[in-house]
Amino acid sequence: MGEKKIKKERWDGSEVEILGETYEEGLPEEPIRWRSKLGDRQQMLRYLQSGERYWFSNDWYGSERRKTPA
Amino acid sequence: MAEIKKKEEKARSVDPACEEVFATCEESPVGFSWDRLAKQQPQCGFGMKGQCCRICSMGPCRVMPDKEKYKYGVCGVDVDTVAARNFVRMIAGGAAAHSDHGRGVAETFLAAAKGEAKGYEIKDEQKLLQLALDFGVEIGDRAMQDIAIEVGEKALSIFGEQHGPIPFIKRAPLKRQEIWKQHSMEPRGVDREVVEIMHRTHMGVDQDPVNLMQQGSRCALADGWGGSMVATELQDVMFGTPQPIIGECNLGVLKEDEVNIVIHGHEPTLSEMVMVVSQAPEMIEKAKKKGAKGINLGGICCSANEILMRHGVPNVGNFLQQELALATGAVDLMAVDVQCIMDALPRIAKQYHTKFITTNYRAKMSGAEHIQFDEDHAEEIARKIVEMAIENYPNRGTTHIPQTTNTLVAGFSHETINYLLGGVFRAAYKPLNDNIINGRIRGIAGVVGCNNPKTVHDSAHIALVKELIANDVIVLQTGCSALAAAKAGLMLPEAAKEAGKGLAEVCEAVGIPPVLHMGSCVDNSRILMAATAVVKEGGLGDDISDLPAAGAAPEWMSEKAISIGHYFVASGVYTVFGTTWPTAGAPGFTDLLFNKYEQIVGGKWDFAQEPSEMARKMIEQIDNKRAALGIDKAKERVLYDMAMRRELDAG
Repeated sequence: MGEKKIKKERWDGSEVEILGETYEEGLPEEPIRWRSKLGDRQQMLRYLQSGERYWFSNDWYGSERRKTPA
Repeated sequence: MAEIKKKEEKARSVDPACEEVFATCEESPVGFSWDRLAKQQPQCGFGMKGQCCRICSMGPCRVMPDKEKYKYGVCGVDVDTVAARNFVRMIAGGAAAHSDHGRGVAETFLAAAKGEAKGYEIKDEQKLLQLALDFGVEIGDRAMQDIAIEVGEKALSIFGEQHGPIPFIKRAPLKRQEIWKQHSMEPRGVDREVVEIMHRTHMGVDQDPVNLMQQGSRCALADGWGGSMVATELQDVMFGTPQPIIGECNLGVLKEDEVNIVIHGHEPTLSEMVMVVSQAPEMIEKAKKKGAKGINLGGICCSANEILMRHGVPNVGNFLQQELALATGAVDLMAVDVQCIMDALPRIAKQYHTKFITTNYRAKMSGAEHIQFDEDHAEEIARKIVEMAIENYPNRGTTHIPQTTNTLVAGFSHETINYLLGGVFRAAYKPLNDNIINGRIRGIAGVVGCNNPKTVHDSAHIALVKELIANDVIVLQTGCSALAAAKAGLMLPEAAKEAGKGLAEVCEAVGIPPVLHMGSCVDNSRILMAATAVVKEGGLGDDISDLPAAGAAPEWMSEKAISIGHYFVASGVYTVFGTTWPTAGAPGFTDLLFNKYEQIVGGKWDFAQEPSEMARKMIEQIDNKRAALGIDKAKERVLYDMAMRRELDAG
């Protein structure tokens, strides 16, 4: 796919040319099957610990790991 | 309040496809829900406002607090207890519907795991492992089938859990779990909670609205974090966790030159199998022999949402379009399972050539042909249904298919949102939280629920959603409400142009629409999970009630909507309903729900007739929560030098 340039105004009011959007035209024909990226059982379990860490990491994540309440 | 929109307005729907069908029916009126509603006027005001008690045969009593003569029922009951009993019975009805659906799914799942349900399989092993971890089922090197059987048995046992809280409530934020524990609201199995409601609301038992609502809360939570969540999770394992997929919707998806089969209801076990069978080459060949070019499967209501978000199967319409689909004359067969199926359908089907089939022993209809669906012979039954449709194709008369179709992107499970915000390497809700904190996104709204002919079809859903996204509120949707927004083009990334500047920037960066289709009505459990993920990610408080978030069902009509609304309230969410409010005639009980309940569970109910008022209330709530979190004002960025750092309190 060729680069598409678009013109935008810079903070000082001058015009600059920047790289435009890079997505392909039209609608995708296939769903985004991201779950097929998780190959074997070990990968799936690792993903649960990292991606779904809110529920499956070894220690609670984020606000629930906080020592003092918000 | 709760008055029907003036009929002189004439408008029944904002959907041009519906108007096309109305126009074709002008000469020979079919009689739709709108017409029957008009004939029903005036409807019973006591019933509408929650003042009617018909629980025992000393009644029915109409109880009015402002009329001395009618202040008490025959037993002495006052209006607040009457309204409370009616309200918790609505919760029980809704929770039972979702949860019996969930039980059916669990039974099919278990049969599939045991190899007894031909045609069903484990499609999402990762989700199965997730459930195994939730239920404490050993994983190790065990065969997937063994894990599935144990998960299925544990899932099925949740419905009858007699004592301990159900396992999924451990998914909620810790502070939320504490609130439930403190107020004795930790739900047991939904079977027990529904039975207890029916007991407590029997004549002469629980007479305290607060105590009744405690049980109502427990029952609703047993639905949202129990029955509904079981349905969602096991359906994902069997049919796949939804991933972004393009689909078409509205009455124009029916095809003039193909056999049109419409599945209507809520359980995906039937629709999934009909989908598989209808695409089999031998079936398409049979259709061609009857003069059709192929077989076109579509759905109505949530059965449709289930197959739309997993396979991109077209969605013919939402609740108020079920009768209109038949009036196109183009539906060769409509098969229904459970919930939200209008009683008029077999009568309307008879005015056309449409074969009308019921498939669930729980939901038989006079005038319909019944073919009992069971998972042991699912493929065989689906084949029979598809063949009946093919045989019926040559019997079609004149058709009037509206030319309106709309495109949407569906399939935003909470897992997929997590993935889209960070990829497999670091899936996270952090970008969402960051953009809420920095103010690009003002807050989160869940807009869900039904249609109701008392409100112009789809008008309130669309107006509310447009107002919210214009004010930088990202909208999560399910059910018939989702389809209303999809028909308005709001579920495409291009809809970002209708969003406020901040929300549009985020949508463009991530490549998502400002309005996300999260599935069917049992999939409101996905919204609970997304809200929990936002809490656990951090920076926006410790509980769902701390979030700048609100929920709404502007065109609700069913008991399921009340159960959903109340499990959101009991989970800490401010929730506004439109169209009509079922306790409006009981000031004390309504005050409990609209005001005092917030002090107990952190969430509360509200009502607004107009979508603009509803949006205003929701945004006000979001702004109040932002203020409480201290993220309501842009903070000046200060670069600290060493001297300033030394002054910081390290303790």
